[in-house]
Amino acid sequence: MLFPLSQYWRPTMINIEALSFKYPNISQYALENVDCQIEPGTLTLIIGPSGSGKSTFLRCINGLVPHFSGGTISGKIDVFGSDPITDGPETLAANVGFVFQEPEAQFVFDIVEDEIAFSLENMGVPRTEMHARVDDIIERLELSSIRHRSIHEISGGEKQKVAIASVLVTNPKVLLLDEPTSQLDPISANQILKLCVHLKNNSDLTIMISEHRLERLLPYTDKVIEINDEHKLFIGSPEQIIPHLQNVPPVVAIGKKLGLNPLPLTVEGFPDNVINNKKPGAKLVLPVLQETNSEPILEIKHLSAQINQKAILDDISFNLKQSEILVLLGKNGSGKTSLLRSILGLMVSMGEKYFKGQNFTDLPITRILDQIGYLPQNPSDLLFAETILDELKITLKNHGLEKTDQDLIDFLQQFNLAEKSHQYPRDLSVGERQRIALAAITVHDPDIIFLDEPTRGLDYAAKDLLSMLFKDWRDSGKGILLITHDVEFAADLADRVTILEGGKIIFTGSPSAAFSQFPAFQTQTARLFNAFGWILPEQVS
Amino acid sequence: MKNAYIWVLWLVNAIIFVLSTRNPIYLFLVLISLFILGNRKTKPQHRKAWFILNLRFLISMILISSLVNGLFTHLGQTKLFHFPSNWLLIGGDITLESLIYGAVNGLIIGSLYLSFNIFNLALSVKQLSRLIPRAFHPIGMTATLALTFFPSIQQRAREIKEAQMIRGNPMKKISDWLPILLPLIVTSLEDAIILSESMTSRGFHAVSNRNQENFSIISLVIGTFLIFSGWILNLFDYPQVISIFLYVVGGSLIIFILLKKGCEFRVTHYHRVSWQKKDIIFCAIFLIAIITQIIFAALYENNFSFTPYPQLSMPSLNIGGFLLSVVPLIPILASNHD
Repeated sequence: MLFPLSQYWRPTMINIEALSFKYPNISQYALENVDCQIEPGTLTLIIGPSGSGKSTFLRCINGLVPHFSGGTISGKIDVFGSDPITDGPETLAANVGFVFQEPEAQFVFDIVEDEIAFSLENMGVPRTEMHARVDDIIERLELSSIRHRSIHEISGGEKQKVAIASVLVTNPKVLLLDEPTSQLDPISANQILKLCVHLKNNSDLTIMISEHRLERLLPYTDKVIEINDEHKLFIGSPEQIIPHLQNVPPVVAIGKKLGLNPLPLTVEGFPDNVINNKKPGAKLVLPVLQETNSEPILEIKHLSAQINQKAILDDISFNLKQSEILVLLGKNGSGKTSLLRSILGLMVSMGEKYFKGQNFTDLPITRILDQIGYLPQNPSDLLFAETILDELKITLKNHGLEKTDQDLIDFLQQFNLAEKSHQYPRDLSVGERQRIALAAITVHDPDIIFLDEPTRGLDYAAKDLLSMLFKDWRDSGKGILLITHDVEFAADLADRVTILEGGKIIFTGSPSAAFSQFPAFQTQTARLFNAFGWILPEQVS
Repeated sequence: MKNAYIWVLWLVNAIIFVLSTRNPIYLFLVLISLFILGNRKTKPQHRKAWFILNLRFLISMILISSLVNGLFTHLGQTKLFHFPSNWLLIGGDITLESLIYGAVNGLIIGSLYLSFNIFNLALSVKQLSRLIPRAFHPIGMTATLALTFFPSIQQRAREIKEAQMIRGNPMKKISDWLPILLPLIVTSLEDAIILSESMTSRGFHAVSNRNQENFSIISLVIGTFLIFSGWILNLFDYPQVISIFLYVVGGSLIIFILLKKGCEFRVTHYHRVSWQKKDIIFCAIFLIAIITQIIFAALYENNFSFTPYPQLSMPSLNIGGFLLSVVPLIPILASNHD
């Protein structure tokens, strides 16, 4: 070939020109004057704070916006020759696959295999071809062991894989994923992301992922789209975009701290010589637990529980001290949430439970909840009142307490919600709703707080606010038991770490030991400086 | 027995028998058959809960129905007690016969509920959706999904109830349950929207040809109008041949349009409908049972029926009734894996 054109020019897969969009009855643009081009066979990461328009942007590409949302749209979108604005999502289905944030909500059928075949049935693919394609995708995604199982019986990671398989089976050219790892433990999240990269490399699939946890995705990213608070879009390579962000992954923060140029974006890209040069004089953090003098306020002895005659908690014993944040780590399905529910009496269990030395094993739930505030995984389940103030008053009334409006507004200051005290809770952002739920479960001033995945779906800014709040609570004497898959967030907060596996405690000890010795829960800092026991960028000297 | 059409025949047979007989002994036998079959169809870990839930429903139906009928129907000769005649609606004799009649109604409602419950247990959402004629594919599919949405709503209700208990709500009075309602409605609507988005973005209802939508609607209206006109003319002294002609033309037009609409959907099916030897045998058994019931109903009126009025007596029994009562149990002969 005289002119190897492909070396200099790659065809554009998605071309967006002057795209602006407003949701119905909202004067502000969700996206304003957006221009971008995405090349085939690339992985594009879409980042930005909550409510900036990441999901809206993805939905524009497959036509769910404006066909489902309504609203006013202008500009031009070209997805491999189709126009999502005029053609609609059902027409683009053959070429654009969309995986939603919560896989459970998007499933149509109850059996894995049937779910995967759904798109092909809609496209009228002949049965023999349909079987071949379903078999192929099941083999490629290693789903053979669960193909005939009920979707309700498989793990979170498997559900996400099934959701991806059910859109990939149509051999789409583009795969759009809206926060695909937000509910997954680090191992499952990594599996999903590696799968995406494998598909991109082997099938020339164009992938666009919206995600808050940059550290998970940057190693695989070709291009970054940043959508800021003002709904403006910036596009470039990770090297162009990431260094300018206010909140960066730990590895970038370390690079900035050490003055590295160019800044490393991934652990793999971190210069070896910097790590090696640290060795002679570096300060070693020993993985020894710093014992506090405070008394345990919660003691659990030999707790066991079963669901459908299957043991999910097996002889669990641990304690939580005053002014302590105890982080509970474990894979999806390891029994973390069940442990919290068993302690609270929300599920049947055996064993002994003590609060400040008093046995509360047989106390009714309402009495237990006088002392323990519990934030469940879905904070929206807690909210139903007309205003934030009303939400607080309802909790107080349930506990037989009363406070003045001014007291409650003062209380809301710590949650940055005082100015919104008269607003309707469900109209606020994900981060704000999370904080309202936290306020609602702590307004009666419990000594112990249980938090189940409080950072799910939150951006860096919202997580920072929560982190400060939890530290304040700890300093004021409360004991906090925190479940999270976000290891960087956990490492920043933990005083002590307990790891659950298969319903048993396999480790209790210092954060530096937990986040450096267990590969599944290693922070980026620990992966770089494992020999020093460093787990946070602040420790790097 | 995985063939959905055979399960439809099983259901039709059960419904016809339950609705045609008012004999409490046969109904008890049907219920025992249904409980045994339902127990087999439920997962071992859920069997106890399934049994208790359905038994509780059955007992409530018998009690409510018996009470309502006893209070409002004053037929029968065995007087138990008397309410003053000036008491609106319930004034008069309360008789044993009317209580028994109500209890039989409860048995019928319980049997019907259990039959549908087992039908739902036996078939997956996919198999249920397959039973819908193609012309009604989008509406039927949506209706099927709406029905299967109930278990997930129950699950959500449990989660929200738990969340409210976490805030110290004791969940004892009816007013304590109000906080569940709003989050439940909102989250159910949100889930429904995500599901519909997911279905649409996976090509659901991507009809290839929608150009003749108006033609179809007008044709359906004309077809219905012709049938209605035939019925009206039949009420008066017009020659019956005109009515028959209008029925045929209107009916043909509707069938033609529905078939045409069905062809517009390019939907194919992943699973082939299995017609194994045992499927054919089961099919034959249920067909024979249905035809037998129709013939018996045509030739021997009140053969399986029973009424406690005017005075309670022992229900008559025959071998045919016994056999038909245990027909709903027949699927137990098939392996759970079939």
